[in-house]
Amino acid sequence: MNLTYPTTLVLHALANGYGHGFDVIDATGLASGTVYPILRRLEEEGLVTGRWESVSIAREEQRPPRRYYELTAAGEKVLERALERYRLTQATASRGRRLRPARSS
Amino acid sequence: MIARLSLWLALRILGLAALVAPAVARSDWKLEWEAELRHRARYPTWRTNMILISRALGSLPDAAWIRRQFTLDADAVHDAVHGVRMLLKTPGFTVIALLVFAIGIGATTAMLSVADTFFMRPLPVPQAERVMTIWQYNRETGAARQDVTPGNAIDWVKRARSFEAIALAEPTGLNSEIPGREPEYLKATFVSDQFFKVLGAPMLLGRAFEAQDYQQGVRVAILSYPMWKNRFGGDASIVGQAVRLGRGAPHTIVGVMPPNLELRLFNNRFQRQPEPLVWLPKQGFVDVEINGRRTGFWNVLGRLRPGVSMAEAQAEFDALSAQLAREYPETNRNIAAQVVPLRAHLVGSLSDVLPLLLGAAAILLIVACANVANLLLARGVARGREFAVRQAVGANRGRLIRQMLVESFLLASVGGILGLALARWTLNVIARLRPLDVARVDHIPIDGRAAVIACVVIVVAAIVASLTPSIQLSRPAASAALKEGRASSRGGTRSVLVVVEIAAALVLAVGAGLLVRSFVLIQRVDPGFNSERVAVLQLFASPRLDTPEKRILFFDQALSRMRALPGVVAVGGASSMPFGEARMVLRSALAIDGQPPASGEDSQIFTTTVAGDYFRAMGVPLLKGRLFDATDTASSRHVVLVSSSAAKKFWPGADPVGSRVRFQFARVDFDAEVVGVVGEMRHDALDRPARAELFLPYSQSGFYALTAAVRTAPGSPTTVREMKEQVWALDPLQSVFDAAMLDDLVSWTLVGRRFSLFLLGGFAVATLLLAAAGVYGVMSFSTSQRMREFGVRMALGAKRSDLVGLVVRDGMTLASLGVIIGIVMALPLTRLLRVLLFGITANDPVTFLWVSLALVLVAAAACYVPARRALSIDPVKALRVD
Repeated sequence: MNLTYPTTLVLHALANGYGHGFDVIDATGLASGTVYPILRRLEEEGLVTGRWESVSIAREEQRPPRRYYELTAAGEKVLERALERYRLTQATASRGRRLRPARSS
Repeated sequence: MIARLSLWLALRILGLAALVAPAVARSDWKLEWEAELRHRARYPTWRTNMILISRALGSLPDAAWIRRQFTLDADAVHDAVHGVRMLLKTPGFTVIALLVFAIGIGATTAMLSVADTFFMRPLPVPQAERVMTIWQYNRETGAARQDVTPGNAIDWVKRARSFEAIALAEPTGLNSEIPGREPEYLKATFVSDQFFKVLGAPMLLGRAFEAQDYQQGVRVAILSYPMWKNRFGGDASIVGQAVRLGRGAPHTIVGVMPPNLELRLFNNRFQRQPEPLVWLPKQGFVDVEINGRRTGFWNVLGRLRPGVSMAEAQAEFDALSAQLAREYPETNRNIAAQVVPLRAHLVGSLSDVLPLLLGAAAILLIVACANVANLLLARGVARGREFAVRQAVGANRGRLIRQMLVESFLLASVGGILGLALARWTLNVIARLRPLDVARVDHIPIDGRAAVIACVVIVVAAIVASLTPSIQLSRPAASAALKEGRASSRGGTRSVLVVVEIAAALVLAVGAGLLVRSFVLIQRVDPGFNSERVAVLQLFASPRLDTPEKRILFFDQALSRMRALPGVVAVGGASSMPFGEARMVLRSALAIDGQPPASGEDSQIFTTTVAGDYFRAMGVPLLKGRLFDATDTASSRHVVLVSSSAAKKFWPGADPVGSRVRFQFARVDFDAEVVGVVGEMRHDALDRPARAELFLPYSQSGFYALTAAVRTAPGSPTTVREMKEQVWALDPLQSVFDAAMLDDLVSWTLVGRRFSLFLLGGFAVATLLLAAAGVYGVMSFSTSQRMREFGVRMALGAKRSDLVGLVVRDGMTLASLGVIIGIVMALPLTRLLRVLLFGITANDPVTFLWVSLALVLVAAAACYVPARRALSIDPVKALRVD
């Protein structure tokens, strides 16, 4: 697949536990209009799986259930290769440090 | 408060974006976004408020992205598959629609390819837009684009400053006298020293002429590509070799011209082989050329200096012409110069015709689209249930419109491929009809460019054709009505389309009709002679015949030998043969004893020397006095004949026979008596007036050129070849410039007319057929929709003839409406044809009447079959429908 720089950032954010779409946006600093299509593409290609969070949490917060994404085994491999190629571990890590922790439940 | 407001705003944005998302995925998609937004909104800070809105805006590209995935993966493929399936289900409809599209797209593509070849494709000359051809223009007679007189050409080349290179070209010929080979005349051209700089095109082989080639006595030549290919077998080693091309010493070949380089030098509108085979350097000028300002037969072309416009060059030449007019008032008083870009020169008369043909192709395409639209509409009614069902299960209007578009595209694409084949065929026909003064017609390719053109045409056609049907059929109301299985409307849109088709067909048919009538009229023009069974052999005496006496003897013998051939009725010769391949234009001022001398054009008469039984061979009548006979010899009193048009011009109301006239022929002064009047002849074209002409006996002139005219009896066994052999029996090295049948030469001048007639006629017939098909389609459809009504009418006592009348009346209403609109449109449009018309006006009432009548008849015929169907109704059955 086509591993662009933003795609790698998104994969990396997911690997670091930023599962929800908006958290990935926070973590990567990319625009929402960029991140979501990337997530959908990754999901379509089987590098990422999307799940809905349990309804009880959602009910408690009086909103629809959020969707969160996880890397699949294939996704992890792709990310490994991408990181080797881009050597950007540090870059994203430092970016992540500057952010406040996501207040997901 | 602000937090709630921004959430509200973000959700509104999301709601809008959701409209873009595909319906299947919409609810999940929206939920995902909403959850994130609401989740974020629970922890409001000043920053999150801003973020909410900007994040929500990101949902739009996301929705668009998903939409694209879905459209590509599912909808489009589904539409296409469904479309193909539906098209295959109705093979009759599909075949007709394909044919209609093929005709429309093919014709349009062919015409656009022609336009592309002439107006867009680069010429084989670098920076061709700077290359100009310069012609003479006669202000008095209005004759434009005339060849240039030698004197003027020399002065123009010497004085013009607008050009970085300017050169002249002189037509000439080489009598190939290669022992063991049939003597042949090779068309050649002398060019002055900057000629190849003007062209700037690199030689295929060898080099262009250089300065040393222009020194007196250097024998060098450049071969044209066809000459090199055909005569020398494309042998590259020919460059540098000395080859015998004509009389005398051999020429060293220094180069070979590139292929496809046609220049159409010399205003040889009627020559059949216009491109020279051999190029020779023009080495200096003789007095006769420098002072030759009466007869134009040279050409001038130049390459503009960078930054100099065509208008500036024209202005310079206007000044130059004025200057020359002052210096040589007698010859140049009315001579102006005309700067014509090379491309315009090469396009020739096609620039008059091409816009018309493009227009015709566009009309044909519109009619084809209207027809397909009609077919789609009719089919749409039959598919009403399908559409209704699809709407009922949630298909929106856009989806249905897209379905129509996809099907229309499928039809247009397949039709377009057929159309390309049709375009190839059309272009082959055009190449065969090759209009005379148009270069490059035979190499119009159907290639990548044509394919691109075809694609554009296909897209336009598909959209235009599906426009009305898709809007009509996707209308919810229409669909609801259709659910009942009965048409609610009479197909108002379809009727409008048919009216448009008939109107368009009428416009084209009127145009074609005008051309047909012009063609018929021009063919009825009496050229003044009878061209049937007359062979024409054009001869230029070889330099061995160096005195008039020798030439007179030679041609006398040649003509008598031809006269002796079996089946030959009469043989004669003339220096200037009507419609001959090489035009000998000899003119002189005529002075008549007892009349005040005229000047300028008024005094000019065409002079022709005739030998043998010329007037009988040509079938030209003697109107007064006598013809030349054996008593008119070199030593006897000088006599002349005049044509009836000359008699009218110079002796208005009087009898020319017996008057004494003085004139020049081939620079010799003559003082002669008019002994007779013969019929007038047309020389250049049937649509040009006959010449005021004077004839003198060959025995008294011994001119160097004579064209033999040999009339044979019907069924005569003698061939042109045998006539040529009579010449070679006298002198095996005498070449024959051209040999042809006179009626071929005459009809050759009509090729251009035949070309535009054929094409416009073809478009008109195709459009007419499509329009007839349209009428038929609408009438048979509405008849089938009205079966029940007809059944009721019959049950109530209507006669079958009443029903037929009903159907035909409906059809005729549409037809006459179309005809009336068509006439209104055609009246101004036919004026564009004016250049091509002969003997009639652009609004010729006879043509309009006949064409309208024909169109109404065709429409009536198209109604006939549906009407017959109405006749065959069984009222009981008809009432049971439903």
